Amino acid sequence: MPEVSKMKKPDVKVVLLGDMNVGKTSLLHRYTERKFKDTISTVGGAFFLKQWGPYNISIWDTAGREQFHGLGSMYCRGAAAVILTYDVTNWQSLAELEERFLSLTDTANHDCIYAVVGNKADLTDPKAHLSQDLDGVSQDQTECEEDRTEPQVLSACPTPPASPASLSGMILHKQVTHEDALALYGRILRYKGLEEKSSLPAEKMCFETSAKTGYNVDTLFETLFDLVLPSILRKRNENQESPTVDLEECRVASGKRTKSTCC
Amino acid sequence: MERDNHQEGEAQGVKICDPPSESNPPETLATSLSLLGNHMFPEPVVRKDSTTVVKEEPVDLHLSAVPAQEQNLDAEPISTQIKMLETDTAENQEQECPNNESTDTVDRGTEDAAGDNDQSDSGEFVVTMLAKAKLEEQGIGVKGRSSPLLEAGTQESPAFVSHRDEDVTAESWRQHRKHVFVLSEAGKPIYSRYGSEEALSSTMGVMMALVSFVQSSDNIIRSVYSEEHTVVFLQKGPLVLVCVSSSQQSEQQLRGELLYVYYQIISMLTQASISRIFEHKKNYDLRRLLAGSEKILDGLLNLVDSDPSFLLVAIHCLPLASSLRDSLSQILQKAITPNLVFSILIAKNQLLTIVQEKTVIEDTRLEPADVHLLLNLIGASSAFQAGEIWTPICLPLFNPDCYFYAYISYLDPPECTVCLLLLSTDKEAFYAVAECKRKIEEAMVAQNSLSLIAKAQSYSVSQVGVSDLRHFMYKPFDVPDNYRQLSQFTSPEMEAPYSSEEEKMRLLDLYRYMHSRIHSTSRPLKLIYHVAERETLLAWVTSKFELYTCFSPLVTKACAITAITKLLRWIKKEEDRLFIRYPPKYSTTPNPSKSSRGGKSDQPDSTDNGFLSLL
Repeated sequence: MPEVSKMKKPDVKVVLLGDMNVGKTSLLHRYTERKFKDTISTVGGAFFLKQWGPYNISIWDTAGREQFHGLGSMYCRGAAAVILTYDVTNWQSLAELEERFLSLTDTANHDCIYAVVGNKADLTDPKAHLSQDLDGVSQDQTECEEDRTEPQVLSACPTPPASPASLSGMILHKQVTHEDALALYGRILRYKGLEEKSSLPAEKMCFETSAKTGYNVDTLFETLFDLVLPSILRKRNENQESPTVDLEECRVASGKRTKSTCC
Repeated sequence: MERDNHQEGEAQGVKICDPPSESNPPETLATSLSLLGNHMFPEPVVRKDSTTVVKEEPVDLHLSAVPAQEQNLDAEPISTQIKMLETDTAENQEQECPNNESTDTVDRGTEDAAGDNDQSDSGEFVVTMLAKAKLEEQGIGVKGRSSPLLEAGTQESPAFVSHRDEDVTAESWRQHRKHVFVLSEAGKPIYSRYGSEEALSSTMGVMMALVSFVQSSDNIIRSVYSEEHTVVFLQKGPLVLVCVSSSQQSEQQLRGELLYVYYQIISMLTQASISRIFEHKKNYDLRRLLAGSEKILDGLLNLVDSDPSFLLVAIHCLPLASSLRDSLSQILQKAITPNLVFSILIAKNQLLTIVQEKTVIEDTRLEPADVHLLLNLIGASSAFQAGEIWTPICLPLFNPDCYFYAYISYLDPPECTVCLLLLSTDKEAFYAVAECKRKIEEAMVAQNSLSLIAKAQSYSVSQVGVSDLRHFMYKPFDVPDNYRQLSQFTSPEMEAPYSSEEEKMRLLDLYRYMHSRIHSTSRPLKLIYHVAERETLLAWVTSKFELYTCFSPLVTKACAITAITKLLRWIKKEEDRLFIRYPPKYSTTPNPSKSSRGGKSDQPDSTDNGFLSLL
């Protein structure tokens, strides 16, 4: 009997990174609980296990606070996907991804997938604002087109705003455009020493979401889960060959960073 | 008898003592004042009636021109004035129990307190000082007295209203019963309980100026007393903590609370890293590292105000049949992994059981304050309860410079009342520790523990069967050696007439007052019989226990004494249920039969690596 309830070994690891207050916990909460509620600043990291078909996906929701910065590389060790989250109303939150969080991913798998996610889209984008929980999934990503017509005046000035006042219904100035995110994705690949051609395209890996309305949230997680499946399968195969797993693999992973391997 | 001290202290309203002798008995005016002030405590309104004119105009002039630099203060040394004012103090029917048949240690304290009493009736000291005026200008020392009751009712109920956005110039901000500020030695604001630190930077600058000014003559500022407020300073390494309170608590108690705030900060950052940071950069903005932790500090301060565990420096554990507690302990004892050092089970924010690694137990003991910080962390971080949290945490009294790694998970989602806390010394041990939780969960399901825990609850004072007894707090000292490691206390639910928040706070304030008398550094008492307006309290400390009781107002002294005898007998009888009697231990040095289940079987020396580095 105890065998059954024994911990399901997670097959793959997904990590949420990003500055504090960008909404990492809220995104995950929206996805797992289908709800949006006030959250308290995360302490350390929180571990969740998500059933995805026959697979167990572990999700680490990390604290964005600088206080816990030292732990980041531990959470990222052996990660198959990293969700780099920023707040579309806060330029600094995008800058922080590059300055503070990108280096944490050094311990991730060599074939790790990166997604750049701009949360709080409901504050700047009327479409995301209206989007409700259910049809959030059905929203396609053509909204990128429209984003370009969004006010870009402020995006040029990289001053961090005070805390974005989330007055309901009010449309805030978008500080980070979709293009900024695409550019960041390019720089991430370069940092990782990956070829742009052989990697997943930026358009596919940059999302704008709203944990509040549910806009694009399911799309984000489900796209990622589908993308990490190959990684799961490969890992399972490797497991059959040698029973020792994690430690070995991540050592290899961190050593191989400069090698631009793609599967 | 108190006169000498007054003379000595009159030169300075600021209580100062030499740095090395911080622990000297502070026999100064300030202490005396606090005692005098406390006498009026049950009838705080009385003080308002006195027609007192305290000249502050010249004072204001000076200070409005004083920015936050100490050089300016140097030019104009702070002068202090002390005025003695006639006040009509309502007779406070306080008296010490002259003798007590059923007790052995009563005599002491009787005369002392009587003398004290006389003095309090004769007058009141008001200390004004230059800097106070600035503080007042900023609203900290403002006239309109805040009623502690009002405060408790209005400020604590809307839990989700952020105090950060408060207007610091508003009257309501000034009315707060207890302000707490944390700043760096460079005068940089780090934390304010109410209002944003930024808006308060000039106030904090003045605070720092006071600290530095006194420091420049090789002294340490400890407190400032004004008519309605007590300002207490605590310097800890590169941090300065300031409390501005109108709560009538003793300086000692307020300093203890500031120490908790300091420890909470240490628990998040460690002392070593704080000193390192400030050595490196004196004007570092520590808010960068504490950002997001304000709620933890807010939560701590609310707990400090509402939970007597902090006052008593003891743990309140949930009453539980000893057989059930033992079985829970055994479950924890069996689910171990290398480097695991503490396994703690908590229900309804109270301790169920705690199991420690053997080596840890031998070397050091877990201090109640560390447990309080852990409980506060859990309370403040439970937003997203479905997950398993893994976070570094430092136990400042255990070792202020090192981190433990805490695994926090609720065992009964979605109710989330039973929480498991596992502390490891290994940063990477998450999966191994999570596996321990799996085992614990399994065993608890098998034994149906969760539903048994759900039935456990705090007890009613009526179970004691003593009429007139409304409430009590009992903290034993006489614990046998093998469970010396954790001070505990027991206390029934607060029931009518103390069921409303206001009344609860009022009772706690009475207890705090009794506690401050018992633990007064200048004149500690052993027994106080205190007839207050709406209840009668009796506090008694012996070599074996510390006891605070609250009776209905009409109780007689003789009645109260028999009641206490009965109460003590009842506690003795219930001891096994009320306290964690024999906290079990485990050894995470691998044991062949267990380590194979732990997953990491090939680490014979992991225990040593683990905490030798810690100790």
